[in-house]
Amino acid sequence: MKMKKVMALLLGASLFALSACGGTTGPAESKTESKADSAGEKKEISFMIPDWGAPTAEMLADFEKESGIKVNVEEVSWDDIRNKVSIAAGGKQAAADVVELDWSWVGEFTEAGWIAPIELDAADKKDFSAIDTFSVDGKVMGLPYSNDFRVSYYNTEMYEKAGLQEPKTWDEIGTQMKEIKEKGVAEYPFAFMTEAQEGTSTCLTWMTFLRDGKVYNEDGSFNKENVMKSLTFIDEMVKAGTINPANASGTGNVYGQITTGDAAFMTGPSSYVARIQDAEKSQVVGKAKAIVPPGSTGKATQTMALQEGVAVSAYSENKEAAETFAKWYTSQATQEKLFDTNSLIPTRVSALENLQQAGKIVDGELMLEVFDLVKNVYPNGVPAYYTEMSTAMFNAVNKMATGQLNPEQAFDEMNNKLEELRKK
Amino acid sequence: MHRNKKAAFFLLLPIGILMILLVFYPILVTFYNSLHEMNLIRLSEMRFVGWDNYVNVLKDRGFQDAIVNTLVILIAVTGITLTASMLEALMLQRDHKISKVLTAIAIIPWALPPMVNGIIWRFVFYPGYGLINKILYNLKWIDAPVLWASDRWTTLLIAAIIVAWRIVPFCAIVLLSNLQSIDQELYEAARVDGANKWEIFRSVTLPLLLPSMGIVMTNITIAGFNAFDELVALMGYREMGQTIMMYNYTQTFSFLNFGLGSAISYIIMLGSGVFAYFYIRQLGRSQR
Repeated sequence: MKMKKVMALLLGASLFALSACGGTTGPAESKTESKADSAGEKKEISFMIPDWGAPTAEMLADFEKESGIKVNVEEVSWDDIRNKVSIAAGGKQAAADVVELDWSWVGEFTEAGWIAPIELDAADKKDFSAIDTFSVDGKVMGLPYSNDFRVSYYNTEMYEKAGLQEPKTWDEIGTQMKEIKEKGVAEYPFAFMTEAQEGTSTCLTWMTFLRDGKVYNEDGSFNKENVMKSLTFIDEMVKAGTINPANASGTGNVYGQITTGDAAFMTGPSSYVARIQDAEKSQVVGKAKAIVPPGSTGKATQTMALQEGVAVSAYSENKEAAETFAKWYTSQATQEKLFDTNSLIPTRVSALENLQQAGKIVDGELMLEVFDLVKNVYPNGVPAYYTEMSTAMFNAVNKMATGQLNPEQAFDEMNNKLEELRKK
Repeated sequence: MHRNKKAAFFLLLPIGILMILLVFYPILVTFYNSLHEMNLIRLSEMRFVGWDNYVNVLKDRGFQDAIVNTLVILIAVTGITLTASMLEALMLQRDHKISKVLTAIAIIPWALPPMVNGIIWRFVFYPGYGLINKILYNLKWIDAPVLWASDRWTTLLIAAIIVAWRIVPFCAIVLLSNLQSIDQELYEAARVDGANKWEIFRSVTLPLLLPSMGIVMTNITIAGFNAFDELVALMGYREMGQTIMMYNYTQTFSFLNFGLGSAISYIIMLGSGVFAYFYIRQLGRSQR
């Protein structure tokens, strides 16, 4: 009898444990609940964001005071957010009411129905100059909060030693890099990513975009002529030994080659405008300069933005409050505060101008000049198959950089994949 | 007797329920998914496709390469681990003042998480200024840094070294415990019969180590088959040199293609099952 009781107790305990495991779909379910307090006024929403974008407690308290919406911030690493959103959405749950939305996820999240459109007036749309990247079929699917666009940098000291002038075209870059190498001024003067990772795909994309303005045709296929020009250029630079061969296999910081004084030229994130002049992070303070990127026959007339945004989850139980928060979080005033607290470069022209006028942005005039050149790379918006396409791109460039493929073969490899994806 | 059976049934029931829910049910769901076109981006378009996912996976060049890569790593890990763990066990068996300290130190790599292990070795084999390149350069054996992980086969060999480095301590400890349980009289008898050191090792030590070899080989196979974190830390999600686990991760979690990913999981499960069958059979024989 005693034994039976013990058995029953054990069984009950194990069933309880199981029901606890099975009944919860992880943190997602609790996160999506938008709670109201006893008075039915205060709303509560969750916000999933990488640590760099988390607003301060003070900012959130101010927002709660003015809107009556309490925001619970969940700091999640950038890499994990996509997985959490997709898996929660598989169970028709929201990972959070407001979630991080990288520019490259827009097509995928929209097609999957994981995010809801946001109503935005014309003035706001104009203020977010890269809102097209976050729009699909005219609907705004996310609001950008952190800016990053391609700016070029060159080491003035190295250029002087080699007797060269500021570059204006990519043909000039090619000649200059070889000359700097031949004169022994730098061993690997061109900082360019060739390893098998996402950054390499964007490098191929911006290079083609800066020079020829068109990476993709209207139907979403590759513009072969322009992409081939970039691939041939990269291959030439690798073979001339101007790009560090270690870039193809290492997982080091390629952009850092400009700040360590190893590279003479780089096109990279706009955050390096300040970084190259920061003595704590750069060994080339006063010896390197940020410039408008080179183009085909003169300076580039367009540049690419790689912004981070936020979106309202389609499965949120309180979309209205979530949208109110997303708009507040990306408002001009908040963006200016986030610049002070989190060093995030604003995505709104008005905020960037204000900060520039206040003298808070290093090389502010140049930043505004280049920011003005930001245009959308993808004629029909970022495609839903971006991740697969990008994987094919970076693997093809990596294989070319390690001598396994020639530019034509590299193009064919990535093009075949893109055509396969377009047909799906 | 009847009462005992009942008690045994109730005692096994909780774990049985757990196994059904957490092991058998997911296995069935994965099989169901593997027969469907199922992408999280287009979940509403999920449809039955029969064996198509299996056919597509088996035909895919990436999968075929990944299988070859995994087998190469598995063979290399087996060779390195068996040799190194045997040597380590024989060294630790010697009765010395610092034997216990050395045993404790030797176990450290096994305690490291695979990702940390991979990051440490990334710096060792770093193409520009890594430890190995620095040593070789200082010895004047090379003029320029060697790009260690830029070639498929070298990458696989490095991956095998990294995986082996992590599992050698465990295998060595298992072998050591087995070595210590061998009756010393057997060695004395062999010596009396005029056997030399090699003959003693071959005819006495090795046959008596067979029971622990099953555990060691199972551990090696699991580690070789599951090589993932170390490789990701070393080279990211590069296609060249990717293992079956990396291929599966990319298809399932990067491309969110759960149908195809489930088919890959099943193929891996069946492949592992073949290895498991032979090991279990071998274990059974050695126990008899």
